[in-house]
Amino acid sequence: MNAPRPYALLAEITYRCPLHCPYCSNPTRMRNNGELTTGEWGRVIREAAGLGVLQIGFSGGEPLARRDLAELIHGAREARLYTNLITSGVGLDANRARELRDAGLDSVQLSFQSDHVDLADEIAGANAHQRKLDAAANIRAAGIPLSLNFVIHRRNIDRLPQIIELTETLGAVRVELANVQFYGWAFLNRAALLPTREQVARAREVANAAKTRLTGKIDIFYVLPDYYETRPKPCLNGWGQRYLTVNPLGDVLPCPTASSAIPNLRFENVRERPLDWIWRESESFNRFRGTEWMPEPCRSCPQKEIDFGGCRCQAALLTGNAANTDPVCTLSPNRAQVDAVLRDLDQSSGHTREWTPRVNPRKAAIRPNA
Amino acid sequence: MIPDHTQPRLADGVRLEIDGTTGKGVLLFPEGIIELNETAQEIVTRCDGRPLSEIVLGLAREYDADLEMLAADVRETLADLQRRKLVKLA
Ligand code: SF4
Repeated sequence: MNAPRPYALLAEITYRCPLHCPYCSNPTRMRNNGELTTGEWGRVIREAAGLGVLQIGFSGGEPLARRDLAELIHGAREARLYTNLITSGVGLDANRARELRDAGLDSVQLSFQSDHVDLADEIAGANAHQRKLDAAANIRAAGIPLSLNFVIHRRNIDRLPQIIELTETLGAVRVELANVQFYGWAFLNRAALLPTREQVARAREVANAAKTRLTGKIDIFYVLPDYYETRPKPCLNGWGQRYLTVNPLGDVLPCPTASSAIPNLRFENVRERPLDWIWRESESFNRFRGTEWMPEPCRSCPQKEIDFGGCRCQAALLTGNAANTDPVCTLSPNRAQVDAVLRDLDQSSGHTREWTPRVNPRKAAIRPNA
Repeated sequence: MIPDHTQPRLADGVRLEIDGTTGKGVLLFPEGIIELNETAQEIVTRCDGRPLSEIVLGLAREYDADLEMLAADVRETLADLQRRKLVKLA
């Protein structure tokens, strides 16, 4: 199959992180074959640029945990990529912010758990909120454009007005208010994280009003929880079309969650194959490329070039088969699965439930049943 | 109308690059990429703090084009890029 050219690389440079968010994007079970080295990342970045990639996001885990981050950013700038740092901000003091700026960092996306220190630190499972506020100031002082990201869920969705206020106070130019998507840790913690229908409706009004009020000042992106939608998100603009992710161990993924969500697909590693081959030729990138692989009802649906049948990971997690139509779609024969989750939530009227904070791999190894 | 003495610059966090795959100019910004057509690229290349009038004159010399039409094109392009917050006019 003819491969398109990719535009953006998500470089997950480490799984290490001082926080323990219950929706963490780290794998729920980890292998440890050793993180890619500075030199290996340099090669991956050059190969990605050669493939057509124009943007790189440094993410994790917490990318600041790598001391060679400035060097990696510098390498990406040498390859003429636009560089974005996706960070919790913990460890971003004034010196580090300047070091990264001097290396050529173009923009920072700083994540917050909430607007208020008590709730934020409870969600993060660490005393992090104040350090994030400091990080925001350091980023701005270094002259790097600041975007914010809030993962929205049942415990913080009612604070959307205050969250937007914090965004204004911090001088951000852009904010993502992204309802949690249910993969990995968030999938395990779904019962505690999924907001109620009423919460979602209120939040949408708040977000829309803020969008109007702040037009020209702050770009607000509000992402709905897709379980409440009737059509799926156009995940990644299609599998293997524009994006690729390289994880800390060097596995190359069409999307960051694919390796945990789709266990029976074999993903290639940059230590064994050139990136170009993986993008163009590998089984994992070609499996769901285009529309040929689609089953009904997608196959004969006029929407198939618009939403690409939704998300492969969601199909795998909810139906056990990644090739099925995303069950969020009301045309999917598996939509009942999603409805059942929403009905359970209605019946429990959204009571607060316990969640499992992400544990560090070493702890998990000591207490395998924790 | 955007006045002649306006000094357009790329907004913070926006970079102009040449896309190695297509050879075309692109604006890169957080979470976004816009491909520029040839005129837009010529204009954006000159958004370095020089006044609008100078951008128009420079382009007119290079392309041997009608000054008034060119000025209108430049204004339109800049207004569009400003709306998308990719260029700031000061
Ligand atoms: S059937 Fe498939 S293509 Fe059609 S709307 Fe649903 S997910 Fe999209």
